[in-house]
Amino acid sequence: MGERWEILMPRQYRWRRWVQLPWGWIALGVVLVWLSLTSLFTVESGEVGLVLRFGRFVREVGPGLHWKLPFGIERVYKFSTERIFKEEFGFRTRTVGERTEYSPPENPEEPVMLTGDLSIVHVEWVVQYRIVDPFAYRFRIADPKKTLRDISQAVVRKVIGDRTVDEVLTYGREEIADEVRRLMQAILDAYGAGLRIETVRLQNVQPPDPVKPAFHGVNQAKQEQERLINEAWEAYNRAIPQAEGEAKQTIAQAEGYAIEVVNRARGDAERFRAIWEEYRRAPDVTRQRILLETLAEVLPHVQQVLVLDPETRSLVPLLSLPATTGKKAASEEKP
Amino acid sequence: MIRWIGLAVLVLGALIAVSDSAFVIEEGQQAIITQFGRIVGRPYTQAGLYWKIPFIQKVFFFEKRILEWDGDPDRIPTLDKKYIFIDSTARWRITDPVQFFMTLRTMRNAVDRLNDIIDSAVRDQISQYTLIEVVRSTNHITQLPPEQLVSMSDEARIPIQVGHDRILEAIRREVRSQVERLNYGIEVLDVRIKNMNYEAEEVRRKVYDRMIAERNRIAALYLSEGRGKKAEIEGEMQKKLQQIRSQAYQKAQEIRGKADAEAIRIYAEAYGRDPEFFAFLRSMEAYRQVVQGNHTLILTTDSPLYQYLKRSTARP
Repeated sequence: MGERWEILMPRQYRWRRWVQLPWGWIALGVVLVWLSLTSLFTVESGEVGLVLRFGRFVREVGPGLHWKLPFGIERVYKFSTERIFKEEFGFRTRTVGERTEYSPPENPEEPVMLTGDLSIVHVEWVVQYRIVDPFAYRFRIADPKKTLRDISQAVVRKVIGDRTVDEVLTYGREEIADEVRRLMQAILDAYGAGLRIETVRLQNVQPPDPVKPAFHGVNQAKQEQERLINEAWEAYNRAIPQAEGEAKQTIAQAEGYAIEVVNRARGDAERFRAIWEEYRRAPDVTRQRILLETLAEVLPHVQQVLVLDPETRSLVPLLSLPATTGKKAASEEKP
Repeated sequence: MIRWIGLAVLVLGALIAVSDSAFVIEEGQQAIITQFGRIVGRPYTQAGLYWKIPFIQKVFFFEKRILEWDGDPDRIPTLDKKYIFIDSTARWRITDPVQFFMTLRTMRNAVDRLNDIIDSAVRDQISQYTLIEVVRSTNHITQLPPEQLVSMSDEARIPIQVGHDRILEAIRREVRSQVERLNYGIEVLDVRIKNMNYEAEEVRRKVYDRMIAERNRIAALYLSEGRGKKAEIEGEMQKKLQQIRSQAYQKAQEIRGKADAEAIRIYAEAYGRDPEFFAFLRSMEAYRQVVQGNHTLILTTDSPLYQYLKRSTARP
């Protein structure tokens, strides 16, 4: 088509083609596009939009599609009030591909701090916060992030400066984090920074490298202490129940003895009573019989019979007693 | 054609004039207007659209927001002659832009002045106190239970009189009074110590040595406690063993004694009926038990056996 026009139209009239375009409509279209581009805006969910007319704050809008006055008369600033921001202290996280790497901070002094007992510890911590008042965040404070970082460092140093190394390294960590959060919030509120500290977490807290072996030594000593105590208790537990059992055994043996002795006594007594009953009927005969029986049993074993007067005891050492070496001498003293 | 050009120039000039006479102050800003270098009217502290005389009047904008001040680390000796570096940070703002414009004019100047004022106030105050006063805010440490203080050096046991917070308060007071006296039209909201530490590496090394010594003390304490506890348990064990054994012995002896007594009673009761016969029976039994194998029998003349032998030989 164009080609044909070119051929048909004389050269000097060709510019008329441009003049004949609907310039008014094009201008209107451009203005409309510009108008809609500068007056329509969306606020994402979780965001807040602040609308400023000639620099002055006029209204706050929530998520959705909104209008504002065009041509820069009204401007909008958008902030996420739900997103949680994170600041790291004493270390930096870098995400390399799938891996997360921790690198030292730009300022190597950042994690080094003094404790209340004038020792040195390395403390790494994380602060998570949200923007709760976008207006204050944007227009009341010049560099909220830097302010947060400065305050966090000041507060952590102050709190650590009030604790012992042991508290910082072991049992005081949660309490410290809690106090840091509280104090940071109070200072930020005093500035009117529009930030809320969600959490403060102490990450890696450790003694300086040259002191680490000594801290390990303490742990070892603690384990050694426990080992010694356990050993002692083990010996205790091994000995006491055994002794208790043995005590019961001793008592049982005694009881056994008691039963035996008493039973024997009863038996003997009964036997004697029985013999005596019979003996009483014929004492002399019985006596004689018993004596003879005894003699019959005893005398075959006797080599020699010495008869002494009871008064002449001193005679005994003078006697030479033949064939008695290695044999028992039976003596019968007066009962 | 010339008429057209003239019109265009006129329109352009009007546009420039309008754009130079209107100005917008955004939230967080404030401004003043000067005319040939002299300030005219009151400062503009509210955000909005304002007008001025074009070309003749100039507008200067200033921050209304809270601004940061971050000093360089400063080496300061404490009262106990310990060199530490202190890195302080401050927050300030321009309260009177007119005064600010007249005295400091630029932010750079303001920061320079603040460097001088804050650094010297920090130095003044810190050097008046011992290190422990600067580090600690409360006497929390000295009030800990004594078993947690075993490792602590004597220096660290001294309670503080003033403390971190009140030193900071004194620094702020000094800074504020300086700033007020110089009438810069600014206000220092806060001064804080962002970082403080031992300054020289050799001092740190000494601190490390002290920390190591402290740890060794604790380790020794644990070990000695462990040994002590072990000895205590062992002692307790000995005691308990002796108690158990002696109680068992006591009880066994009691039982045996009672049984023996019972036996004696039974024997006595039985044999008491005829002690002479019992003695006779018992001696006979004794002979039988004793005399076995080759023996020499020594008899006194009053022993029953002799009596009997004599009687039996005499009678027939």
